[in-house]
Amino acid sequence: MSALALEDVHKTFGVTPIIRGVSLEVGKGERHAIIGPNGAGKSTLFHLISGRFPVSQGRVTLNDEDITGLKPYQINRRGLSRSFQVTNIFPKLTVFENVRCAVLWHLGYRYSFWHNIRKLNDANERAMAILQQIGLADRSQLPAGVLTYAEQRALEIGITIAGGAGVVMLDEPTAGMSRSETAHFVNLIRKVTEGRTLIMVEHDMGVVFDLADRISVLVYGQIIASDTPARIRSNTAVQEAYLGQALEAEH
Amino acid sequence: MSSTILAAARPNPVLDLLRRYGVWIAAAGLMILLPKVFSSGAALTTMCLMGIMIVFSLSYNMLLGQTGMLSFGHAVYYGLGGFLAVHAMNTIAGGKLPIPLPVLPLVGGFMGLLFGFIFGAVSTRRAGTAFAMISLGLGELIASLSLILRGFFGGEEGITANRTKMLTLWGVRFGPQIEVYYLIAAWCLVCIAAMFAFTRTPLGRLCNAVRENPERAEFIGYSTQMVRFIAFCVAGFFAGIAGGLAAINFELMNAVNISGGQSGVVLLMAYIGGIGHFAGPILGAILVVLLQVFLSDITGAWMLYFGLIFIGMVMFAPGGLAGLIMLHLPLWRRGTILQVLPHYAAMAVPVLMGAAGLTLLIETAHHQLVKTQTDGPAMHFFRLGFDSNTPLPWLAAALLLGGGLWLGRLYAPRLKAAYGDAAHGVEAAR
Repeated sequence: MSALALEDVHKTFGVTPIIRGVSLEVGKGERHAIIGPNGAGKSTLFHLISGRFPVSQGRVTLNDEDITGLKPYQINRRGLSRSFQVTNIFPKLTVFENVRCAVLWHLGYRYSFWHNIRKLNDANERAMAILQQIGLADRSQLPAGVLTYAEQRALEIGITIAGGAGVVMLDEPTAGMSRSETAHFVNLIRKVTEGRTLIMVEHDMGVVFDLADRISVLVYGQIIASDTPARIRSNTAVQEAYLGQALEAEH
Repeated sequence: MSSTILAAARPNPVLDLLRRYGVWIAAAGLMILLPKVFSSGAALTTMCLMGIMIVFSLSYNMLLGQTGMLSFGHAVYYGLGGFLAVHAMNTIAGGKLPIPLPVLPLVGGFMGLLFGFIFGAVSTRRAGTAFAMISLGLGELIASLSLILRGFFGGEEGITANRTKMLTLWGVRFGPQIEVYYLIAAWCLVCIAAMFAFTRTPLGRLCNAVRENPERAEFIGYSTQMVRFIAFCVAGFFAGIAGGLAAINFELMNAVNISGGQSGVVLLMAYIGGIGHFAGPILGAILVVLLQVFLSDITGAWMLYFGLIFIGMVMFAPGGLAGLIMLHLPLWRRGTILQVLPHYAAMAVPVLMGAAGLTLLIETAHHQLVKTQTDGPAMHFFRLGFDSNTPLPWLAAALLLGGGLWLGRLYAPRLKAAYGDAAHGVEAAR
């Protein structure tokens, strides 16, 4: 049984095809990275899976349930949560409130206006536990907008994992970070996605080969290879299309 | 987490109770005492209107301030609530319904809720500008209907009722205004508490999240449309209660109560008071009612002043009155509030100069445009008599206004520096 499966997914904007028939299977508990050159459609693929854009053609299943055409919140309730490439938080709410909002639906409070939020011990404790995990416990009462960039990236991940989704998708989690921050972040991602299925888009090949169990290479809207890191590294088609330059750029 | 902290710092249960509910006890005390201090009939009428408008503007801020929905048609729910309450009063007076007067605002509330449900289902499908336009369209639709459906809305005269013909409860007939005042005050307090409690619920917090970043809210499991819809229904409910209170207070509802003008006034009240803070609309409602009542007595151009105050607020204090107060909270905490007072006193000189100049200008122009035909050119300005045809008042107004602006600009940087020093300390400001 796969956690997430794509069957011949297409996406066209007007007449321009962006995703041209992607099939992909991600197993439960797998850490799957999607790499590829700029403009290959990695972020679009994320938007299609998470319901931000409708799929033009094809099928997306989450835990063998068809989620094609569902709204983002419906997909989220079924256990798929995603982060964004450009930090996407609630800037004027406190850091604590950011995370607490993200746990409420999944603890069953839904649209309740008959619970006093201060007395929801499960929600408050879970939010605090997440903040401790992502290292923002001492920032909990600050407005999220005043955090540093790296802290906001951590909060982004905190919001993403707070609901307890089984499938977590991270869109370039380490983009714009320094080397030391990145190393710290890889540990954080490893820690918080423990026991979950992870799918991520990432440009930093160090992070990709460090974290991923399997890697898919997306070029011009098609997956040209999907395999273990070692075999991706030695794949000539991948070398030609992308990895040669990307690995060179690392040095 | 917070409960453990509270438990640790609990030396005295009475103190703790005071700390938690002190504001509410004080508010209740104030509401009880106000009519003893301001006991004239005019004051009582004004305070009744304030109570109604506080509920109305707070309900509006559930949309604008808390959920980020700019509505131009909130008077629909206030008006419909009021009209149904008036009809209910007449039905009750006819002996057909055994409802005592004090619960009548609930009738208005359910009317507001019903129409919030119907119109909300349509309009909350969209957010932002589209929502604002739909609310404007629905508002105008109902406003024009109010002149067509004479049976329900009573045309231009409206529908009247007599509150004393209702069932009596514990012997109170609600004839005198003071009895109505206490009824409104009680409802006002209950509604404020209920709307405040709403902000402290999961949905209340999600309203803020939807206001801040609707896209992200969808990715943590929430339908932003559903959040907006429920908020809209609840806001309609409280607006309806305000309408019901208005029906009891005025014993009359007419087309003005449901018009676009009324929708505009509630926006102004919320905004002038400050939409970013829960108590803002309360302050706004009080101020706007005061302006409406007293300014309209003093000058025929009061709408112009009203508009100027609004523009001034939007330009210089977008946080409203509540925002201005919150700006001084850190100074209060640091104990540096006295440092800035002399600077404010100094700033008051150019401000008063400018205001005097502007008022003189408006009043003279108003006299020239409206009253010279009937009253002649002679006029009074704060007991100062002069001829509005001579250049002197115009010159004086221009000098005062120009001088005020010039001095104000000259002194503004020093005021800003003084505030910065007081708020952050001298070292931090430099």
